[in-house]
This record gives sequence, structure tokens and C-alpha cells, in this order.
Amino acid sequence: MNFINEGSKSLNVKNKKEDVKIVAFLCNWCSYAGADAAGTSRLRQPEDIRIIRVPCSGRINPLFILKAFNLGADGVLVSGCHPNDCHYSEGNFYARRRLEVIKEFLPFIGIDKRRFSYQWVSASEAQKWQKVVINFVKIIKEING
Amino acid sequence: MVNILENKLKEKISSLIEELEIIIGYSESKAPLKINPVFIKTKEEIDRLIFNNLCVNNLATYSYYLSADTKGKIGIILKPCDVKSIIQLISEELLIKNKIKTIVIGCNGIIDYKKINKAVNYQKIISAKLDENNITVNTIDKSFNFKLKDFFAQKCYVCNIYDNPPYYDEFIENDLKLNLEKKKEYEDIEEFEKSGLEKIYKFWEEEFNNCIRCYACRNICPLEVCRDKCIAQLDEPHWQSHKINSSEGKFFQLIRIFHLAGRCTECGECERVCPANIELLKLMKKVNQIILKLFDYRPGLILDMKPPLLTFKNVEQNIKDEELI
Ligand code: SF4
Ligand code: SF4
Repeated sequence: MNFINEGSKSLNVKNKKEDVKIVAFLCNWCSYAGADAAGTSRLRQPEDIRIIRVPCSGRINPLFILKAFNLGADGVLVSGCHPNDCHYSEGNFYARRRLEVIKEFLPFIGIDKRRFSYQWVSASEAQKWQKVVINFVKIIKEING
Repeated sequence: MVNILENKLKEKISSLIEELEIIIGYSESKAPLKINPVFIKTKEEIDRLIFNNLCVNNLATYSYYLSADTKGKIGIILKPCDVKSIIQLISEELLIKNKIKTIVIGCNGIIDYKKINKAVNYQKIISAKLDENNITVNTIDKSFNFKLKDFFAQKCYVCNIYDNPPYYDEFIENDLKLNLEKKKEYEDIEEFEKSGLEKIYKFWEEEFNNCIRCYACRNICPLEVCRDKCIAQLDEPHWQSHKINSSEGKFFQLIRIFHLAGRCTECGECERVCPANIELLKLMKKVNQIILKLFDYRPGLILDMKPPLLTFKNVEQNIKDEELI
């Protein structure tokens, strides 16, 4: 993970506006394929996102998200298959509960809730992926000010 | 003065000792304001048992490891709030119900000795004496007399099970009842949140400057049964450095919190033992407040109910997707 600032800075580091760092965890079966499709169909997207592929959104340990923030990420994005469409049938249902708890908890340690988002993007939703990325980057840049 | 409650307790234990391999209870400590846990195996030792407002420790902490190491049944003396930890462990299939005999004593509140330390200006306390409503504390050159009701633990001010434990094998009623002006649950959390992101961030940064990564908070928690495999101490994978600084301390604590989300019974032991006086309970309470709001669940009350993060519903009533499109 050498793409993030050196040294472990505290959570909620503010990078410069033009230099935001966003970590995205995408599930292999839906969102990663969706993002890939967005690439092959040459849909323009901001370059601030570093994608990490995971087998399933249910594989995402809250630790991953916190670690990303701890290493200086400005935002963390999680994306998986739509509910009911999980490749492993229920991984994203478990994930949804955990992710929501994290999201609600972040402000309590002083991190803006908007810095974290989880989305459902299927393999065929290349355009949705493009919009998600554009909007998320925009929000993060706004918060960084 | 004959202590009626302690006598009742000793009688009860005498009648049970034959069927139990070991009994965990409270005994006198040499240190003022403290008690010691005691592990009783024979009739002769029963006389060592005590019970009073200083019996702060949640003895459920010993249940998991001890039950793994003993063949027979274990008896544990618990306050009504401590029994929640046992319920939680059973509901998660970490404890076998028939291996534990829960001996619950009605409670009239426990003292938070950190509050007393503060009230005597952190002077060394050389002795202390309890009576029904007051506590006398002597430092080297002064004597203080405090009203008990101002010095109870946070959780006592919101407790509604002190004479009505959610689960027990044996219940010993206490003639003294908890008599406190109740506080609103989570009112302190809501107050804290009003200070805004920036201040909150600073607050925790400073709190965790003091964390020395002693792992006392982890080791005392009755629900943290993963100590042997703790991710904070593994070198492979090396998720966390052993450095001591605010950011690592906070990171460790956040891992703890998420391992306890929907499980923590707010017993307050982690905060009590933290040598750095970090307000850990605040964090735990916030997670519980979220869990309550999202899943309408309170840990430690129902024996056969899975914690909310170990299950799911296809349609989640209280979770709304926030689409970024
Ligand atoms: S008990 Fe306190 S100092 Fe020790 S690891 Fe836990 S938070 Fe840090
Ligand atoms: S996290 Fe703290 S308050 Fe919660 S059960 Fe463990 S020791 Fe008790």
C-alpha cells in the first residue's frame, strides 16, 4: 500500500484539494467488473481512486476501512453487488450491516461521514460506476476545501 | 455489625459447593477501596467471600477461559449487570450454559473509585470505610466523608435490572435497593456529539496520546475471547505497528470497538482498568446506541438471540442506501 503518504498520519488527514487520495474496495463479481467495463468503454473518470479488488463486499473487514483512513486516505469507497445479487448469495447482506455501523460511527471520532460511502454497482452498470466516482471525488474535494 | 447479605451468600454457596468445581467470588483486598477476586474450591474458604459496594469487578471475565480449563461446573458470583456478559457469551455459543452456575446478587450500586480518587485530589488513600449511605476515606493528613450516591459508576445511573436480573440460576435478594436519580440513557453521548467534528477529533487525539498499548482494556473484557490471536499483536500479517502514539492507539481501539459492536454490555471494565484513564466507555456506548437504532437490539439480554452483526435481513428497515448518482 505504498501509494499512500509515507508514515502513518492520524486519521482524517487533509491532503491538498488537487491531490486527494481515495481508496475503493470493489467486489470481484459485480463492481470490479463494472469499473472494468467503464474503463473499456472509455468512460472518463477522475484519477484519484485507487481500487483494491476483494472477493466479496462481505470480505471487507472494518479494519480495512479504518486502516485506509489511518494511512491518510481522504475518502473510502466500498462497492459491491446489489442486495439479492451477491455471487455468494448473502455476503453483501452481512456487509451492509457492518458498513452502516461504520458510517454512523465515524463522526464520533471526528471524521466527516461523507468521507465514507458504500454503493451497489453491478457488472453491467459501467455508467453508474462513472457517476459514483465522479460524485464521490467531488464530495471529497469539497470537504477538503 | 452482622452482614445479612454476606451471610445469605455464604449459606447459598455452602449448599452449592459440592456440585461445583470452583466458585469465583469477591474477597477483601489489602488495598483500600479495592476488592480481590477469589477462587474457592473448599468449604473452609467460603468465609473469605464478601459482597459490598466496592465489588466492582465483573467476574464474568473469568468464565470463558476457566470453563475451557475445567471439567466440572463453575459457579460465578455476579451482579445483575454482570450476568449480561454471561448471556452474551452463551448466545454466541462461546459458553456452554450447563457448565456455568450463575449466582446473582441483588445490587444497590457500585462505587467508581476513580471518582473518589479525583475527589481527594489524587492524594494517596490509606484507608476507607463503607456504611449504608456513606463512605469515609482517609488520606495521610485528611479524612473525607462522601455520600455514596454521588460516587456510583456511570452504569448504575441508568440501571433498571439491579433487583431483577435478566438471567440467573440462583438469585440472592438484597434488602438494600439502588436508590438513585435516573439519568437518560446516552444523554452524555448526545451532549458530547454537540461539540462538533473538529473538537471531537482533537479530543480523541489527545486521549489516545496517553494510550500505552498495555492491552488491559482487551484483557479485562469478558467478551474478548480472542486474546491469543489478537490482530494487534500479530506480526504476520502486520496490520498494526507496535509504536506507541495517538494514531496507533486509536486504531487499536477502533478494532476493539468493531469486534464488540452489538456485543458490548457496557459493563465498564475496560474504562475502569485503563491506566491512562481514557474514556473508552464513551466509544462503546456510541456503538451500542447505533446498534440499538439500526437493529433494535441490546446486547446481553436474550439467551438465544444472535448479535445483529452475525446475521442479516433481506430488507433492512432502518438502513437507507445513499446513492451517489
Ligand atoms: S487499557 Fe488504556 S492504555 Fe491500555 S491499551 Fe487499552 S486504551 Fe491503551
Ligand atoms: S468493551 Fe468494556 S464495557 Fe464493553 S463488555 Fe468489554 S469491558 Fe465491558
